[in-house]
Amino acid sequence: MAERPEDLNLPNAVITRIIKEALPDGVNISKEARSAISRAASVFVLYATSCANNFAMKGKRKTLNASDVLSAMEEMEFQRFVTPLKEALEAYRREQKGKKEASEQKKKDKDKKTDAEEQDKSRDEDNDEDEERLEEEEQNEEEEVDN
Amino acid sequence: MAAAAAAGSGTPREEEGPSGETAAPQPQAPTSAPGARLSRLPLARVKALVKADPDVTLAGQEAIFILARAAELFVETIAKDAYCCAQQGKRKTLQRRDLDNAIEAVDEFAFLEGTLD
Repeated sequence: MAERPEDLNLPNAVITRIIKEALPDGVNISKEARSAISRAASVFVLYATSCANNFAMKGKRKTLNASDVLSAMEEMEFQRFVTPLKEALEAYRREQKGKKEASEQKKKDKDKKTDAEEQDKSRDEDNDEDEERLEEEEQNEEEEVDN
Repeated sequence: MAAAAAAGSGTPREEEGPSGETAAPQPQAPTSAPGARLSRLPLARVKALVKADPDVTLAGQEAIFILARAAELFVETIAKDAYCCAQQGKRKTLQRRDLDNAIEAVDEFAFLEGTLD
């Protein structure tokens, strides 16, 4: 399957929804028009990427970052996008931070659970000392779950 | 197509509970209010487009996100501009020619000329 960059289309359903929400109620869109807009969106991303890459190279960086993209928007004369994009970026950063903290917490809980499971397996082979320690840990687990 | 549905939705589910077993980890825990999705376009597809550029080495996650969001804004903008043309023709269905007219009329869309065929 030969893939040209322009063939990498964005999902039709999402494009259609965005178009419908942008237009007044009762307005329809022909299949050809929708497909053309979808293509245009892909071309837009490619063009923006290329512009953003220029800014990254000027800054002697190899990784595209958010400000490169914002600079590209201005370069492409889409300044009106810059403010809403900045707001979206702020919200995205907050969300990422929240997710990161949540997953770190989950990881801690998971590690603790894994330790307990490993000890469960070896419980039969171990002597009484270990069993006492295990009982303590089990009690601890129950306490947490009750919370 | 399934990727579009994964963009966060519905009510947040909480993990705590009196049941003895720990809840299975949620694949995605929506942190913001329901409906406040940050972007609808799947980031994986946008990333694929970005990687298609041979000059691009790497792109940060934030860059991909902003590109996705910008693409959405672009779709809204071009749809509205094309609609103005359709309105003049007193039609209620956006046609391909409305899009072509908008591209010709609006300077910012000049980069699209010749790319949609």
